[in-house]
Amino acid sequence: MMTDSVLRDRFFKKYHGQEIENCIQCGMCSGSCPLAPHMDFGPRQLFAMAREGDMNEVLHANTIWLCVSCYNCVVKCPRGISITDHMYSLKKMATEVGIKPPKMLHLYRSFNAPVEKNGRLTDVMAMAGYGLRHPGAAMANVPLGLKMLSRKRLELKPASVKNIDGFQRVLKKAKELERVS
Amino acid sequence: MKYGFFPGCSYKGAAGYKESTEAVSRLLGIELVEIQDWNCCGATSYWSTQSIEAYVLPARIMALAEKQGLSEIVNVCNACYSTLRKAQEKLAQDNDLNEKVNLALAEEGLKYTGNLNIRHLMEVIVNDLNADDIKKHIKKDLSGFVVAPYYGCQLNRPWADIDDAHYPVLMDRLIEMVGAKPLKNYSAKTECCGAAHMVAHKDLCMPLNNRIVKDAVSKSAQTICTLCPLCQFNVDASQYKSGLPMVPVIFFTQMMGLAFGLSEKDLKLQKLLTPFKLAV
Repeated sequence: MMTDSVLRDRFFKKYHGQEIENCIQCGMCSGSCPLAPHMDFGPRQLFAMAREGDMNEVLHANTIWLCVSCYNCVVKCPRGISITDHMYSLKKMATEVGIKPPKMLHLYRSFNAPVEKNGRLTDVMAMAGYGLRHPGAAMANVPLGLKMLSRKRLELKPASVKNIDGFQRVLKKAKELERVS
Repeated sequence: MKYGFFPGCSYKGAAGYKESTEAVSRLLGIELVEIQDWNCCGATSYWSTQSIEAYVLPARIMALAEKQGLSEIVNVCNACYSTLRKAQEKLAQDNDLNEKVNLALAEEGLKYTGNLNIRHLMEVIVNDLNADDIKKHIKKDLSGFVVAPYYGCQLNRPWADIDDAHYPVLMDRLIEMVGAKPLKNYSAKTECCGAAHMVAHKDLCMPLNNRIVKDAVSKSAQTICTLCPLCQFNVDASQYKSGLPMVPVIFFTQMMGLAFGLSEKDLKLQKLLTPFKLAV
């Protein structure tokens, strides 16, 4: 396990987290967040903890995974802090340190896998990947799925970019660059 | 008028969005030139998991548009719109990142310069056309049709430059232009539908959708009008078997199509989960 101070350093330098030093703890972010009532800590408290260096606690909080990217907090923040972007950084860091993957990470992986393979996504492909890991959720959505099917709303054929070789070469190069950075 | 067009992955499967967009654009003389061989923009999923690929995906779309000689990209999805804009903004600020992204794109012989305008079709229609160019196509009187304009999140946030962050009015104006009545005090107009969280955290997101629906129903709206496939799907599907009073959720292009006298069948309104029937 990485120490709190190493993680704080990594967040502040590699992920530009030093911007949260500007936070005045006004709580506009937590007050405007649609899912704050369900978070372990609201964004205000999460940033206070990150500043103090309680990074392991920060990275294990459900807060970062409940951020829905609505940007309500960003337009309200009197210090202009790009809160949503810091949530993205903390999600990536939490994944790097190997937290037990929450449901949203399973969903993101089910979304990314067909994109990597085909360059495009259909709802059916993303849902199939997620459904394999969460059969209960998949079963609960069967009536809705059937209703969509009866309205010819489900794309059963996978979508794909035409120059798939070129697309995959681009992504492969991006992955290489990601590894060395 | 000619624009580059990025349909995005959910456009084709969305309930009649494609059919109504094509019909309305044809009438208005808007030519949407599809970006050849576009890919998924990556959206929130890539921002949450990848540092460089999250930029490479939207940059490839923009580079393809540049190669086609297009100077504007019109989007029909809030998430695509904000992803492209966000990538464009960051790549303009960060030379190192820009260099890496171009190194990756070079594998396919592409180059991204960022010299493009990223726009949303609803805003293009309101800002680039004269009201008369829209009004002259009206064939059906919608003056008794009360429409709740639901904007969702990522059209006006975080930038808030084409409209207000919390109380936007562009789509309200469009509703008025086609002769219908925008619901004036629709306070849920920019509340979040939960986006992809509806899949993994349905229990937490249902109250958000219920509020968006209830605010429209209790103020006597006959329909909710949307401009994003994910918003449309969440607000529509959340009503399925909810037991609460229901209201159909249509796309702004379907609303325009109704005013222009297109049939409910042409606009594929039968694809909605909450049934639509025009009663004005």
